[in-house]
Amino acid sequence: MADIKLLNPINIRKKDKSVDLKYQPGFSQIAWLCLIVLYAPIVVLVMFSFNANRSVTTWTEFSWDWYIKAWHNEGIQSAAFISFEVATISAVLATIMATMAALVTTRITPYWGMNSAITIINQPLMVPEIVTAVATLVFFAAIRKATGVTGIGYLIAAHTCFCIPFAYMPIKARLEGMNLNLEHAAADLYASPIQTFRRVTLPLLMPGIVSGAMLAFIVSIDDVVISLFVAGPGETTLPLFILGQIRRGVTPEVNAVATVFLIISVILVTFIFLFGKNKK
Amino acid sequence: MKKTIISLVAATGLSVAASGAMAAGTLNIYNWGDYTSPEMIKAFEEKYDIKVNVDDFDSMETMLAKVSEGASGYDIVVPGDATVKVMIDKGLLAKVQPNKMANFKNVDEKWVDVYWDQGRDYSIPYQWGTTSFTVDTDVYKGDINTLALMFDAPKELKGRINMLNDMGDVINAGLRYLGYERCNSNRAQMKELYELLVKAKADWRTMDYSIIEKLTSRDVDLSQGWNGASKRARKDRPTLSYAYPKEGFTGWMDNLAVLKEAPNMDNAKLFMNYMMTPKAAALASNFANYANGIKGTEKFMTADLNSSREIVIPAGAPAPEFVPPCDQSVTDLYTLVWTNLKK
Repeated sequence: MADIKLLNPINIRKKDKSVDLKYQPGFSQIAWLCLIVLYAPIVVLVMFSFNANRSVTTWTEFSWDWYIKAWHNEGIQSAAFISFEVATISAVLATIMATMAALVTTRITPYWGMNSAITIINQPLMVPEIVTAVATLVFFAAIRKATGVTGIGYLIAAHTCFCIPFAYMPIKARLEGMNLNLEHAAADLYASPIQTFRRVTLPLLMPGIVSGAMLAFIVSIDDVVISLFVAGPGETTLPLFILGQIRRGVTPEVNAVATVFLIISVILVTFIFLFGKNKK
Repeated sequence: MKKTIISLVAATGLSVAASGAMAAGTLNIYNWGDYTSPEMIKAFEEKYDIKVNVDDFDSMETMLAKVSEGASGYDIVVPGDATVKVMIDKGLLAKVQPNKMANFKNVDEKWVDVYWDQGRDYSIPYQWGTTSFTVDTDVYKGDINTLALMFDAPKELKGRINMLNDMGDVINAGLRYLGYERCNSNRAQMKELYELLVKAKADWRTMDYSIIEKLTSRDVDLSQGWNGASKRARKDRPTLSYAYPKEGFTGWMDNLAVLKEAPNMDNAKLFMNYMMTPKAAALASNFANYANGIKGTEKFMTADLNSSREIVIPAGAPAPEFVPPCDQSVTDLYTLVWTNLKK
């Protein structure tokens, strides 16, 4: 990082325009195209959430009606509450486990099978979601039949599992970037491993943990496929609620909910970004 | 930080406990999304002091997948006509004998001896409708009550047609147009059907379920689809008209049924009996925009529902045809035609 800063960027541009990716022919056109394809549908979705009409395709005039309707819709209220509850608990549990996993895979000398362990932790990123979903459905149904235990715990457990790798990645990256000398110094000064962890490692690790927790929260609140198969009675999350509306025709009420969702996501992502940046 | 985490965990833990510790009377319903009237549920909750949870599914397949695994926790499900038969055959439904319940007298006789549940030992009518198509009568001014509009499109409608992305609905419409039997295993006739579909497909713009959006955005001028959806689309585009083709069209019925493993069996039976009262059935219809199979609901239904062309089948139109699930060999033949058509 530091040595790049020493070079004058203007000189680089002048000298190496031919090798800088940014100046390759078509670069900015393709970049703009990608941005438009990604964001234009979202802009349209947000726009039609303010449509006075009940159509999501023909514009009439501006109104807040759909936001007010969505706010008073009991189905949306309870779905939002359940989503929030599941995402919060899952994110907390996943982050605790991910932190432990990250410590075990960075802070000790590599051991036989460590790479396999990392692969297993990241398994939810690689196995197709529908496979995990069907497998979880069958597995949980067997447990429910055997024990008679029901409730939202199953949904939380499933969410915790697939959130772990998302929390794990930023925490591990942070740990790898941290200066080991600080921990060694603490040990030299007779700090016990627990004291070192609490006074040195954990505070330095906090930005990674917070980013990880927020990422896990977003991933959980977004999830459709696994929730669809695992959710029991009275456990409709917000994405499931929206999915259920689609066959009978989407109304701007769904756009309004999606827009609120989007704003929350943007705020969280911005927060993760700023938090990561300040503590570097 | 640590304190806030602990209090967060404690708070959410408490709320889990609270939502788990419901009163003794609960009932869990699993239905299509946006298809259960909140007013009707509220009336039931107040009358019987039972807390009702309504969850949505997005397709019959999702519902069947979850329910077949067992221990789903649901009491009431709302399967379509063919699915009721499948679920009875699989032993998933409880034989609760609604035909012996007090309010069964309100069920319209024509919905009692149905192919999917002869005599109604397992299920009761919830909502029923038809699958035909909707045309913009400003674009096409001729007679709309013929399947020729989809399979031999007039020039105004060429390239302006949306078909349902549904094997059964497209093939059944084609068979009706050719005048052949449904569940057809005659290879020569199916070959003729395939050629018809391939030729017609050149005039189709899309094959998609989102018919309301397709029609109201003026993406297409004709769309195959359900009567209730057509009614909703007409609100935004008043020149639309629902066709009752002379060659025939499909009828369908969604039914209330109780799962064999229902945790709240008694409440489920109460609910079934309640749903056979004209008031409750009318509330369901007012919300979902379809007809129900209960007698005497007219006075509780909105005037709009009682008179609209999409819901009330006009005199002279053929009766809707309820198509039972076909044999495996027929389904295989259909799948062959369908996959080739979609290539």
